[in-house]
Amino acid sequence: MNRIRKLQGPALILALLALLWIIVILVLLVLKPSVFSLGTVTTILQFSTILALVALGQAIVILAGGAGIDLSVGGIVSLSAIAGMLAMKLGLPSFLLPPACIIAGAALGAFNGVLVTKLSILPLIATLGTFFVYSGLALALTGGAAQSGVPSWLLIWGRGVFSGIPVPFLTIAIPVFAIAGIVLMWTAWGRWIYAMGFNERSARLVGIPVDRARLILYSLSGVLSGAAALISLAWLGSGRPNIGQNLELESLTAAMLGGIAILGGRGGVGGVFAAVMLLVTLKTGLLQLNVNTVWQVGIVGALLVFVLLADRLSQNWR
Amino acid sequence: MLKHIRKALAISALSLAVSTAAFAQDKPKVAFVPQLIGIPYFNAMEAGGNRAAKELGVDFIYSGPVDTNPVDQLQIVQNLIDQGVNAISVSVLDASSIAPVVEAAKAKGIKLFTSDSDAPDSGRAVYVAQATDEGLGNTIIDELVKRVGEDAKIGIVSGEATASNLNAWIGFMQKQAAAKYPKLKLLEPQYAGGTAERAAQISGDLMAANPDIKAIIAVASTTCPGVAQAIETAGKIGSVIGAGYCSPNTARSYLKSGAFGFTVLWDPAQLGYLTVWAGKQLIDGKAFEAENKVPGFDNPVTYDATKGILLLGPPAVFTAENVDKFDF
Amino acid sequence: MRQLRNGVFSLNGREWSLLVACILAIIVFSVASPYYATSGNAGTVLRNSIELLLVGLGMMLLLAMGGIDVSVGVVMGLAAIGVGRALGAGVDPVLTAFVGPLTGALLGLLTAAVIVLGRVPAIVGTLGLLGVYRTAIFVLLGGQWLSGLPTGLTLLLGTTILGLPVAAWVIALAYLAVWIALRRTPFGLHLLAIGNSEEKARLSGIPVVKIRFATFIVSGALTGLAATFYVANYRNVEMTVGSTLALDAIAAVVLGGTSILGGRCSLVGTVLGVLLLRILQNGLLLTGVPSLWQPVVTGSLLIGVLGFEVLSNRLSLSRLGWASK
Repeated sequence: MNRIRKLQGPALILALLALLWIIVILVLLVLKPSVFSLGTVTTILQFSTILALVALGQAIVILAGGAGIDLSVGGIVSLSAIAGMLAMKLGLPSFLLPPACIIAGAALGAFNGVLVTKLSILPLIATLGTFFVYSGLALALTGGAAQSGVPSWLLIWGRGVFSGIPVPFLTIAIPVFAIAGIVLMWTAWGRWIYAMGFNERSARLVGIPVDRARLILYSLSGVLSGAAALISLAWLGSGRPNIGQNLELESLTAAMLGGIAILGGRGGVGGVFAAVMLLVTLKTGLLQLNVNTVWQVGIVGALLVFVLLADRLSQNWR
Repeated sequence: MLKHIRKALAISALSLAVSTAAFAQDKPKVAFVPQLIGIPYFNAMEAGGNRAAKELGVDFIYSGPVDTNPVDQLQIVQNLIDQGVNAISVSVLDASSIAPVVEAAKAKGIKLFTSDSDAPDSGRAVYVAQATDEGLGNTIIDELVKRVGEDAKIGIVSGEATASNLNAWIGFMQKQAAAKYPKLKLLEPQYAGGTAERAAQISGDLMAANPDIKAIIAVASTTCPGVAQAIETAGKIGSVIGAGYCSPNTARSYLKSGAFGFTVLWDPAQLGYLTVWAGKQLIDGKAFEAENKVPGFDNPVTYDATKGILLLGPPAVFTAENVDKFDF
Repeated sequence: MRQLRNGVFSLNGREWSLLVACILAIIVFSVASPYYATSGNAGTVLRNSIELLLVGLGMMLLLAMGGIDVSVGVVMGLAAIGVGRALGAGVDPVLTAFVGPLTGALLGLLTAAVIVLGRVPAIVGTLGLLGVYRTAIFVLLGGQWLSGLPTGLTLLLGTTILGLPVAAWVIALAYLAVWIALRRTPFGLHLLAIGNSEEKARLSGIPVVKIRFATFIVSGALTGLAATFYVANYRNVEMTVGSTLALDAIAAVVLGGTSILGGRCSLVGTVLGVLLLRILQNGLLLTGVPSLWQPVVTGSLLIGVLGFEVLSNRLSLSRLGWASK
């Protein structure tokens, strides 16, 4: 078990990301010093909250191996936001909206988990199927119309800023990452997840309930997506049937960039957090410099390839 | 990692003190955020905006999302606000989600207004309209009825199901049909997303499902080529006509082949010009008159003070006969 | 290995059920809509399947090899720009037809260089390339779509040979060529062996790098060929070309019985998978179901078919007395 934790990969990735992040900031600093204000920090954190939560869900699913991946995260975000709003229209008291979104997310995630563990459909295909179903349902149920009527007390929470930090980021994203980090590093649960990802056969042999754990992890990814949906409601003030568009690819990019090995068993949540920050800072920086947005997707793509190659080369040297 | 972040945050906080002092501007800045970049329509608006910027002495910033994703659009607007751009115009993707940035702009004293696509109850300063949504919806129905008669069956193919301006146009089409032409049968709108391929597929299916269909309306400019191509491929030129809101350049060959009967549009370059002009007026603190003289415009631009709408003028109808006079 | 190769031609369980599903869907829709069973509509369904059939064939080879490519949509877009530009510049239509596959093959080579030489997982590597290629599309088009292209290519590919349209011949030839390559040449054996276990394939002396390069290039060329047909069909290249193509292709191929773990593929299944998707999409619209429901149907079909197969396998196993593992 020690061998797993001592792997060089995650540390290398983390250092690389931190370096890149500082480079981005320095370049910005030189080109456009006016960028740096508390307002920019708030903006960056605000636009990272949803991606951070979803990327964390993506990361733990991949980490646990078994070719784990969750392509349906964007669909879950859209559908849980819509489900919450529709439930309220059907008479759900407004104070139950937050739990409704989370429960919807958990249920959708659990369905993925059932497909993967009970029916043994490969995760890529199972979640590709649910990606179509969830994101399609969100649009079809609403005919594409945004659902208004988010209670005003929720908006106060969603749009609030506490000493430069957006309240949802402070109250959800930070605690969730802290908990995930602690669980993965210091608990038996965390070791199980790494063990499952590292070598599923031996994990089963030593008695880890792999299937049950995996089912829970897919549900957790759903919970995180449900939380992201809730934040989108509280922030934008309406439920959008395509709010989760592109999140599957963005979260996958963040998780991979953050050093989570696609085959599982390697990587940590710190890297994911750093990757999300890097992605959003980079986007913000390019926007502040008024670089045409077409370059964003290309630069992020190239960055992903670059980090993968760097990781691979470092393994060859060892 | 946290240590690095903390260090970098410290650096950035330090630089803040230096930078705020250094921040000085010469020309006022006006920005336009389209719904999507890389499509001819908004490119033409950009060109008009650039022309206006040169003539009116402002800096013009054009920046928009690569997908029709409202969160990406919000992020762009928010960054323009953080940059301290003086006036920001947005072609709103989703009227309901623009509220957070309107508040942020107000807090910083930045003029935020809409152009091309509106968010009526958001507290925006003004809406620079190409034509009223009502006018656009009505025109296409009236023009179609002239060509296919009052008791025809008409299909509608739109782009994203979530685009609020497209949905508003469709709403007025249905209203006009119900009020003025009770025998007209408008089919349920279908949504093709942003691709011509899907639009063609759906149009083909619509024609197969309704052999008596007389016309198909392409609501989003991205769906025009698909709808027209489907009519050509199905060999239905003459029995089905296409129509839509797309630029003469996109529709030219289809208008000439007969797959399209007409398209309804305004001059997006003029709209871009007017947008930047309106931004300059707002920055200068000048109120809009009921009729405004805008340099380079033949007719005065009307302003509806109760709704806060600055109107470019009635939409133009392009047909095979007049299409060659335009290049945008 | 013999068992694996059998799956390539003779109809297996999955292929039978897909065939039955196609026929059932056609019968149901014919009853539900009087306009369904017309030659015009059949033509519409087949025309709508052209691109997916070609891209799906390439994707099938990649999956069978244990690879994947999520950037095929944008590769088609780039190839379409190549074809469109050539057509617009007045190049002879016969030559322009080859611009597509050529551009596609070159991009396949580039993809392979990153994935194979860099030894990065295909799904993540092609995700990165997806971003890079997308930016390339934006930069190349610069907001000006290629609209109203000359009809030369459309006329060329619209002609019929022995009563069948050129597209049908090209697709049949492509499938035949892949069939021969899989069945009659060492390429097929090697490809499936790599899909089964790359390590074992390498140890047994199979030129893994060469085969993987070749497969990416072939898939690129097929995607480029699809681009040629796209341009001929629509005479328009916009920047969103193919944005949903990759996921659709993967869904169709997997539906057809090809395993994403590699080592198993089915040509007949791929054709049937594509057709079933298109038949359902077309039929639902004809029977009045709004187009917004189409992805829901695609997804349910995918989950339903794969889930059903697992359940029925389990059931038959337990009935035979080979109960639980």
